[in-house]
Amino acid sequence: MTMFLFQLRNELWKLFGKKRTYIGFIMFLVAQNAILILLRFSHVPKQMARLLQMNGVMAGGNYISILTLGTMMVALIGLSLLPLYAALVGGDLVAKEAEDGSLRMILCRPISRLRLLMLKWLAGVLFAFTLVLSLGLFGLLFASFWFPWGGLFVWPPNFALFNATEGLHRYLFMSVFLLPKTVTIMTMGFMFSCCNMKPAAATILALSLMMISGILQQVPFFSDFQDWFISYHVDIWQSVLAARIPWWKVGQSLSILLGYNVTFLVIGTVMFHVRDIKS
Amino acid sequence: MISLHQARKVFGGRCAVEGLDLEVARGEIFGLLGHNGAGKSTAIGMMLGQVWPTSGAVRVGGYEVTTHRHQALRRVGAIFESPVFYDYLSGWANLEILSHYTAPTSQARLREVIDWVGLTGREKGKVRTYSHGMRARLALAQALLPQPELLILDEPSDGLDPEGIHEMRLTIIRLQRELGLTILLSSHLLNEVEQLCTRIAVLNRGRKVFEGTLAEAVRQKDWVRLRTSDFAAAAKVLAELGLITEHRDERLVAPAAGVGPDALVRALVAREFPIFEIAPEARTLENFYLELMKDKQP
Repeated sequence: MTMFLFQLRNELWKLFGKKRTYIGFIMFLVAQNAILILLRFSHVPKQMARLLQMNGVMAGGNYISILTLGTMMVALIGLSLLPLYAALVGGDLVAKEAEDGSLRMILCRPISRLRLLMLKWLAGVLFAFTLVLSLGLFGLLFASFWFPWGGLFVWPPNFALFNATEGLHRYLFMSVFLLPKTVTIMTMGFMFSCCNMKPAAATILALSLMMISGILQQVPFFSDFQDWFISYHVDIWQSVLAARIPWWKVGQSLSILLGYNVTFLVIGTVMFHVRDIKS
Repeated sequence: MISLHQARKVFGGRCAVEGLDLEVARGEIFGLLGHNGAGKSTAIGMMLGQVWPTSGAVRVGGYEVTTHRHQALRRVGAIFESPVFYDYLSGWANLEILSHYTAPTSQARLREVIDWVGLTGREKGKVRTYSHGMRARLALAQALLPQPELLILDEPSDGLDPEGIHEMRLTIIRLQRELGLTILLSSHLLNEVEQLCTRIAVLNRGRKVFEGTLAEAVRQKDWVRLRTSDFAAAAKVLAELGLITEHRDERLVAPAAGVGPDALVRALVAREFPIFEIAPEARTLENFYLELMKDKQP
């Protein structure tokens, strides 16, 4: 076990020692601040106040707040940038080492391929955790520079209002449930990364599959089949922003995501195990 | 130490290694020769469990690599051509990372190996600042960390300058003498192999075309180099006299059994052939290798 922890630490050294690992974090900071500045100095707050008034909340209440704007930022980034960086790191984990040649250096050591993959995947999970955590924390921090503390107001898919305490809980839930999405996309990239392909190809394949799933899910004729689309299940984080959280749906999606992740790992492991590692 | 029995590897429809039998005994420096694509790296890949053999058996240290990889590679170190490291980390961090894939390694052991390869003082610098020679030393250090009994060197001098090649050669000799390692050396540099190896195997298009000692490789029929005014006429005379059995290349004659160069000189001088040069023709490993490759061409 000690050995495993040493090896995991080493994988984290490798992962967090690379500059490209931080692209995601830096872009989050840039995107969050850009979104906030635009929101603060545009007429969006007025439109939001109008929307609140139309729903019976007088004078905007105290809902144009850190939590509301933080949630908006996390939602926008969670839908767009987060999958990109998760796929990028997942696609890099094995394929980059194979491309660089360092995988040959590792595999002349008496470590099993399965163990090596588990170490790399765990490092990827820890990266996903850090990414989601920083997205959530920085979202609140930067929003606090421009907006006051208050309740949470969300729309679409459904209009919902929460007081500050409940709103903070929902914000934390949302951040926590972004983790299964990030890990699933990272694992999909990781699966492709285990095959004999370039890191960019692994990333693009993972993102393409997610996008295809998302497109199919949006087609009205396929609404009866949405349970079959992975993009439907990775978006469980949106469910925790509903007035009443559909826990059965969250549980169902989590179970299905667990199945997806195990499947991706098994396929990746088998592909990696049977392949020849050559220069 | 290494034993390959009828090892075969097919990539797609191409056979990279065909029916390879190879035995490397403990304590020897064994050379693996062959042109690009001859199957050397594939053979090494099979020994290290990186390439799965299509058929046949590959054993290292008495263990089948495909089924007992951990035991087989526990005391094995390897260096590949153009060694790759994590450039953004220090030499020390690289060694720590790589050594932990084998077993826990103490700081003292790391320091000892860094000192042995002459990198003391530079181990904390980022690898991206290292010269090619320093990377080669770092590669050697990572190979030595698991206290190996067997060292597999795949083109270790690749990309090094003449001084670096010389240094690497001395290091290999030192490794064998001081640490008693068994070394498998794959190289294009015939001169290097000639100076280092006790036994060699030559691969051509995935097949082994020679395995034996260096002495066996360079041993040949006792050809004598003869330079005279008319080689063809001189050779004809010597053949008629029964002093030579054959001649070739307009410069070499093979004396009959028991006939020395002195007898050839006497016979030619008696027939007024001027002799500009007569000397035994020594065969280098390069000659041997080139002849072998020429013979095996389709």
